[in-house]
Amino acid sequence: MSERAPSDRGTWRLVASREFWVRIRDKGFLISTSITVAVLSVFIVLRAYGGGVGSFDLGWVGDGALAERAAAIGQRSGVDVTARSLPDGDAAEAALRDGSVDAVVIGNVQDVRDGTAIVRVVSGIPAQLDQLVQAAAIGLRIDGALADADVPATTVEELENQHPVAASPIEVPDPDRPAKASVAFVSVLLLYGQLFGYGLWVATGVIEEKSSRVVEVLLSAIRPRQLLAGKIAGIGVLGLLQLIVIAAFAITLATVTGAIEIPAATLWAAALTVGWFVLAFAFYASLFAAAGALVSRMEELQNVIVPINLIVFASFLISIGALQDPGSTMAVVASLLPMSSALAMPVRIVLGSATAWQIALSLVIVIVSTALLIPLAGRVYAGAVLRTGAKVRIRDAWRAAA
Amino acid sequence: MPPGLELIGLRRRFGDVVALDDVSFEVDEGTLVGFVGPNGAGKTTAMRVTLGVLQPDAGEVRWRGRAVDRIARRRFGYIPEERGLYPKMRVLEQLVYLARLHGVDRAAARTSAEEILETLAVADRSRDRVETLSLGNQQRVQLAAALVHRPDVLVLDEPFSGLDPVGTDVLVDVLRRERRERGVAVVFSSHQLELVERICDRVVMIVRGRIVADGTIEDLRASRTRRLVRVEVVGAPDRWYESIPGVRLDGEGSGALALELADGADEQRVLDLARSVGEVRHFSRIRPTLSELFREVASA
Repeated sequence: MSERAPSDRGTWRLVASREFWVRIRDKGFLISTSITVAVLSVFIVLRAYGGGVGSFDLGWVGDGALAERAAAIGQRSGVDVTARSLPDGDAAEAALRDGSVDAVVIGNVQDVRDGTAIVRVVSGIPAQLDQLVQAAAIGLRIDGALADADVPATTVEELENQHPVAASPIEVPDPDRPAKASVAFVSVLLLYGQLFGYGLWVATGVIEEKSSRVVEVLLSAIRPRQLLAGKIAGIGVLGLLQLIVIAAFAITLATVTGAIEIPAATLWAAALTVGWFVLAFAFYASLFAAAGALVSRMEELQNVIVPINLIVFASFLISIGALQDPGSTMAVVASLLPMSSALAMPVRIVLGSATAWQIALSLVIVIVSTALLIPLAGRVYAGAVLRTGAKVRIRDAWRAAA
Repeated sequence: MPPGLELIGLRRRFGDVVALDDVSFEVDEGTLVGFVGPNGAGKTTAMRVTLGVLQPDAGEVRWRGRAVDRIARRRFGYIPEERGLYPKMRVLEQLVYLARLHGVDRAAARTSAEEILETLAVADRSRDRVETLSLGNQQRVQLAAALVHRPDVLVLDEPFSGLDPVGTDVLVDVLRRERRERGVAVVFSSHQLELVERICDRVVMIVRGRIVADGTIEDLRASRTRRLVRVEVVGAPDRWYESIPGVRLDGEGSGALALELADGADEQRVLDLARSVGEVRHFSRIRPTLSELFREVASA
């Protein structure tokens, strides 16, 4: 029988390869991928075609003066209003029902001055559009009054075309901020799902080997740490691959549908998400593996992973909060701690809040703490994985592996 | 002959319980050793220590004169007391994987796995998931898992439990062939003592963590302290044997008596007396079975 050189260094790769191939064929993997892709597609499509704030279609029946005026005012204040003519009230109603217009103004200039013009809507009018229409109506009435008072039309026009009163912000706003926040939100959601889902897969994989007792056969041939490393690597690579596929799909879909307004920031966010997944997964997977090794049956798993779940979930919530205020103390601390940096730091980076030294410090902390954690978790795993029956206490597992 | 597998001075405690108390024995290459003892005597612990899944408090395990490490143990095959395979993995795929974990390359692992499934008459199930197999077939796959990397040492914890007579015969054939053709050192534990007596070259007996007997069946018989004879005499009065000092009735049945002879009691005198009191139909030494030896030792 042919044999390799008497070394077992590459054994973890065999383990990793089994984990990868067994799981990629698993129905659960297919289902989870499909669900993620579906949810993401809905989000992107809604963003692309949801109309968004600040973009309206305004129909008109009559001479169109009010609609044109509203569009003109909108343009000066950065709201995109497209005015279009409709032949009559029936057409207006049809256009409203099929969603091709947000509102239809009905009436001529005289109707506006008389107060008989109306804005036809399905059930309500967006506040921003309403303000534009009202301002346009006031403008038309003032125009009329000035004309009645023989003020020259050129003077009126001059007055109207003056610049609007500009807002002077204390902080320079980022016009891409809402778009970046959306991208960051998707990143956090994906990362949270991957870390939790694949971490849980590591824990259940450990228990599966324990409860089926195959672990004793395996550990008569290989070391506990090779089994652990292979399992984490195999599942981690699968999680990484899934993340990359989903990110590529999302970016493609968003580009095609026009949902992405800032391609560079999106690609940057995708790269950060993938990179931080690798670091954080190694951290969380070793925790999940050690926790899984403490129990012998799936039913007992919940008890041992509750603390880990809480940490992941709290990190997720803090990171969602960081979308609003990426510079808050809590967001900064979360972006530095190893258990939450993977979720909080990409948010802060995408939103432009993280400084270079914070990013560097965060990376150092997560890498060092993962390097410290893996042998500790590996020892608990090695000490507990062959003990079936009652739940193993961490201290006992620690001593058993001495 | 160089030493094969050696267990040397193994000690292991679990809390206050001494599971192994200076356990030493050898399993030479090409020999089949039966490892017997009451439940809880330490058989499984000794086997787990041999495979390195449990650390001894003291002592060591050697193979061909050298302390075994993980690399050396790649040449060991093991059936643990608690059977274990991946339930959802397919049979052939699983065997190939286990062989590769023992350092066998992919092509050789596959050839070997197919051969073994053929030998064990489960080749037709090689594409099925393990969990869909009957318990008997799962047991065969478990044996295949221990053999697939063609080990030099086989350590089998209760390999016959749960096997039907046909499965038992298959396993006996396989073990004999491995021993004969490849010179494998085999040690297996069992409570089926007739089977152990029938197929083993040597028997090692453990009681409460101590090795109490180690040798061929004949050695064990010879070392036995009790001597028994079976006598069938027609027409003799009751308790005719009591006139000879040191002779005691051990049991009787179907017209024959089993007499225990104390040290110094001569069996020829018993025969002479028997002939003088009646017609002797049968007179023989009772060769104790392994079960009887086991009961004596275990209750001592």
